[in-house]
Amino acid sequence: MMTIAVASGKGGAGKTSFAAALAASIGPGSIVADCDVDAANGAIALGGSITRREDYFAGPGYRIDASACTGCGACAGACRFEAIKPSADGRSYRIVPELCERCGACVDRCIARAIGTFEKKAGELFVSQTRIGPTLVHAELEPGEDTSGKLVRKVREGSTALAGADTAIVVDAPPGIGCPVIASLSGCDLVVVVVEASVSGIKDAERLIELLDSMKRPAVGVINKAGLNAPMDTRAKAVLERAGLPLAGEIPFDPALRSVEESGKTWKDVKGAAGDSVRKALASVKGAMAGIARKSDHGQGKE
Amino acid sequence: MRAGRGATIAVASGKGGTGKTTVAAHLALASSLSRKTLLVDLDVEAPDSRGYFHEAEPVGEEEPVLVPIPRFEGEACTGCRRCAQVCRFGAIMAIGRTVTVNDKLCKGCGRCVNLCPSTSLREMMAEVGTVARYRLESLDLLEGRMAVGDIRSTAVIEAAKRHAVRIETEVQIRDCPPGVSCPATHAIEGADFVILVAEPTDFSRHDLEAALKLVRDRGLESGVVINKDGFGSADIAGLCGSYGVPVIGRLAFTRERASSGAAARLWRDDAEFMREMTAILEAAMPALALCEGGSR
Repeated sequence: MMTIAVASGKGGAGKTSFAAALAASIGPGSIVADCDVDAANGAIALGGSITRREDYFAGPGYRIDASACTGCGACAGACRFEAIKPSADGRSYRIVPELCERCGACVDRCIARAIGTFEKKAGELFVSQTRIGPTLVHAELEPGEDTSGKLVRKVREGSTALAGADTAIVVDAPPGIGCPVIASLSGCDLVVVVVEASVSGIKDAERLIELLDSMKRPAVGVINKAGLNAPMDTRAKAVLERAGLPLAGEIPFDPALRSVEESGKTWKDVKGAAGDSVRKALASVKGAMAGIARKSDHGQGKE
Repeated sequence: MRAGRGATIAVASGKGGTGKTTVAAHLALASSLSRKTLLVDLDVEAPDSRGYFHEAEPVGEEEPVLVPIPRFEGEACTGCRRCAQVCRFGAIMAIGRTVTVNDKLCKGCGRCVNLCPSTSLREMMAEVGTVARYRLESLDLLEGRMAVGDIRSTAVIEAAKRHAVRIETEVQIRDCPPGVSCPATHAIEGADFVILVAEPTDFSRHDLEAALKLVRDRGLESGVVINKDGFGSADIAGLCGSYGVPVIGRLAFTRERASSGAAARLWRDDAEFMREMTAILEAAMPALALCEGGSR
């Protein structure tokens, strides 16, 4: 089993599109783990029908029973996140769900025992058979729920459980460099860093590369939206070179790439120059995968 | 309009890369032409607003965002394991009379410290990010930045929000992180109006729906800006209609804008674009239209 993650730092850099093309190019035996559980688009990119679903519970949240609350305010004093505020009538307190970190420190301080827990469905986990071939493991987080990192781990576990010894898992990572990104990238054999050729895209990729360095994950770079602004293309290449990431390919900004997705295919099937650059990048990423596979076989003395 | 922090507009999206930062930066620019404006970058994992205002000067020292992390001082530890049992973040391992704290997972809630019967845990401050202030003419910029390798983005977001309150302004514009989970909810909390930026693609339409649900559940007033209008054919306006949320702006896609946008250049000379920004501000904040009318 080999796990290849596609990440970027910046949102909208082309992660999902490249991940879908990579899985399609590896073949129908591959698995896509869509770890962008906040904004899961793998099912749109690959066209899938759900074959299995499972409810996801994030763990208990807290709420204050206003009728039992004496209004002493000890809970608010214990809360480090300023998540407990007086209610409108001033006679009791309430927990602001957006700010609550669910630590439970308030419960310990409540003499009236007015703080109870509640468990609510925080999302759903799915396995889909895609039209294009690969199996897709994905999830939808209920809007406003926290613990997306935990749901990402569920998606990773779900995809690993379906994988055989020779299966390639393509992880589509969320944007950013935080908790769900670290959960998406940990343990991956190779990370494809998609660098959008823009000021923001390059800055965010630099932060991601710094994170990958600390996680000791091998990585290659793919530049996307090239050709819009030549100095940005040059800068993106320089950043990859400085970081020691091999440049796997450079994909131009071309509306043909968006159109092909609207017709239910992936980037790999685009005709013309944009398609050629995608196929070149895919071949190069697969070459890097083969190199890592050889190394690990060698390491295990199987040769 | 609330005193202290000004009328607050949060720019969010669901999907990343739809143009939140572009819209937030230009709304701030348009607003700053006639009133004191503060742009707060709350996309602390990937803060990019400042890229549009590279000539802005730093104001004061950058402030560290500190979270109290427990340190184990174990002579008196009874081995009760209470600390590990109550930690909701899995940050504490207790074996025998030895307690190990995983600094990266700890959120600094203090529960373990308060419940330890032998006072074996003492808190020390750990830096999880920074908040820095910049200024360019009548525009203030506040940037929250989470340290690479950290996961406590919400602590940095809240620190930036608290700092923002200390800056006197008429309008506060927040550049929010993508997604619909904790960083996004923290960033929109307390806003008077949420602008959701979408692009006419199937990906964006899907993610916009999650953001529309989030904003509806939170009871926040909102409007949608369709960016890169004409770039794809997904029906964003239809989706907005079904949620009863107005489309308050359309920004046409052109290759020229995509090209100069890649270099984070402000389109202050793009008269049509700047007019659209003023119209969006007025739609988001009827109160602002009144202020502006008064100053004209």
